[in-house]
Amino acid sequence: MASTTPQSSLSFPRETFAKLSPHPYLLAHLQPTSATSKPTRANGRSPKQFRQPHVNNGSLTHAEGSAVVRIGDTTVVCGIRGEILLASNVAGYRVDKSSVAPSTRPGYNEAKELDLLVPNIELATGCSPAFLPGQPPSTLAQSLSTRIYSLLHSSGLIDGEDLRIWYQPPDLSDQDKMDEDDSDAIEPEVKAFWTLYIDILFISLDGNPFDAAWAAVVSALRDVRLAKAYWDADREMILCEDTLSESKKLQLNGLPIAVTMLVFRAKEQEQGRDKKHWILVDPDTFEEGLCDESVTIVVDCGSKKTKILGLSKAGGTIVGKDEMRDLVDLAEQRWSQLSQLLSR
Amino acid sequence: MTDRRRINGPSGGTLAPVYSKYITKDASTQIQRPVRSRAPNVLRKMFLKTGVTPSASGSAYLELEASKSTNTNTPGLASLSTSGLKLTCTVHGPRPLPKSAPFSPHIILSTHVKYAPFATRKRRGYLRDSSERDLGVHLETALRGVIIGDRWPKSGVEVIITILEGEEDQWWGDDRGRGHVTAGEWGMMSVLSGCITVASAAIADAGIDCVDVVSGGVAAVVKGQGKNASVLVLDPVPSEHEEILAAAIVAYLPGRDEITDLWVKGDIGNKELRSSSYEELADNAVQAALGSHRVLVAALKETADMKLGRS
Repeated sequence: MASTTPQSSLSFPRETFAKLSPHPYLLAHLQPTSATSKPTRANGRSPKQFRQPHVNNGSLTHAEGSAVVRIGDTTVVCGIRGEILLASNVAGYRVDKSSVAPSTRPGYNEAKELDLLVPNIELATGCSPAFLPGQPPSTLAQSLSTRIYSLLHSSGLIDGEDLRIWYQPPDLSDQDKMDEDDSDAIEPEVKAFWTLYIDILFISLDGNPFDAAWAAVVSALRDVRLAKAYWDADREMILCEDTLSESKKLQLNGLPIAVTMLVFRAKEQEQGRDKKHWILVDPDTFEEGLCDESVTIVVDCGSKKTKILGLSKAGGTIVGKDEMRDLVDLAEQRWSQLSQLLSR
Repeated sequence: MTDRRRINGPSGGTLAPVYSKYITKDASTQIQRPVRSRAPNVLRKMFLKTGVTPSASGSAYLELEASKSTNTNTPGLASLSTSGLKLTCTVHGPRPLPKSAPFSPHIILSTHVKYAPFATRKRRGYLRDSSERDLGVHLETALRGVIIGDRWPKSGVEVIITILEGEEDQWWGDDRGRGHVTAGEWGMMSVLSGCITVASAAIADAGIDCVDVVSGGVAAVVKGQGKNASVLVLDPVPSEHEEILAAAIVAYLPGRDEITDLWVKGDIGNKELRSSSYEELADNAVQAALGSHRVLVAALKETADMKLGRS
């Protein structure tokens, strides 16, 4: 009897504890028994500590722009390919005069109307056991694609002018110059548009897919170099020049960065009004499974004033007006860290 | 029919950019084909690393260097230069089969090879096409004989390969509609060889018992210059050769001197061109496989050292 030690039969290794009862496991980390030790998460970070990002640009040959972004164990590859959409292939697009083109109308988002930005997220690359190939895109992949799509358009990151391919018809009426006022000079017309296919592949997934995917998209867009394209009137097609000096980079408006945070509650079930909670920034997969409430803030602190380009909060009621202010401050911190890497 | 689960582009359809150098034929804009600077029996440099995907049981990344153009008149934009080979592989399992699956006394291996949309000069679709499925079948054949399947009854393992950058089937300059363009998808051979090597590394990383580590190798008979009507080369880069007559890829187990997959295509033993025999071609492919085997073993040793050093 004395040989059996009850303690050894009741204690598990850490991994087993984490698997069997994940919520108390994380709670035990965040509520240290001694007053001297600081609360840390199960992954060793403090609650408000982000993972170190790594960014690498231009490693793909066949893409006009590309980026590899690694945040902790989440790795994303984003490749952008430009293809050409002829204005004549757009139903109902008037090409005859630039002054009456739809783009002159106020509030007209050409890139959105013509679907010039095509972001798609692929999770079924074996990046995580939860998403295996062979099935149609998972709900998460579809919702991420849609969020990237809407953020690309709502943030106004890309200037529609960068995607237009103009053509100046030659002035053939030069020889017989009849009228002197020359009022109707031939206006340039838009012959085609660049369409950007933005494909985002997850190589490895350990939580926080949206932040990593968005960082990869922004970084790849900054890397995009579109060839000089022109309308060849003889061949009646768009041709491109492959010289580097004539190609141009996209002019992006600002540098938005998405920051996701989770709210971890001490009580697993909703019991009473217990408000004991922790904010966990840049969550990993383990933490994502334990928290209901998440906040994603898209900020751009490039100019003097911080711009909030997107704010979405789902589940739970902990974060209110005051807490949200703190979260925006956290997002600003992350912006200053990540923007240095992205704006290189 | 549009794919409603993905974001589709403009309904009118888009065209890949056409570069003026593709269609003009005057000498000033002529770009030279990249030239093979290696000796016929030298392989390209290979980078192999395991453990790129921590959430998977095993994973590996393989990269073959891109062939560098020797002439100064290189295309300015990166999208026009020739690419190397970049592959990632993840292994999930062994894990129990779903309850609905019938009993299996050995492990069920399923392979999945997919090109990324930006992997090749022509943009790839999101759904697997027939060539990708064919690669998957070849890969499965190559791996099935290596894994000791009896040790995991009623389980399954999935090998998933994503091709981030694929080998080209021919030099892009040959697309201009002149000359003899063979229909052969020669790039697929190198891709398959890389798939076998990278999958082998990932399976070893996952700790799945194997009889040996399998590695892939390619050899080809290419049209030579002068009196040498044909030359045998290891690890061919299709864009460096005007015409590839035949190519062979093997999945080879050096420890047992066994071949688990062999795929030869092309015109072998052509008398007029004094081309090499089928045996020579296969033997040389085995030599190439031995070369990649050395890299594979070195990479796995590095992984083992790291794993043992850590724990």
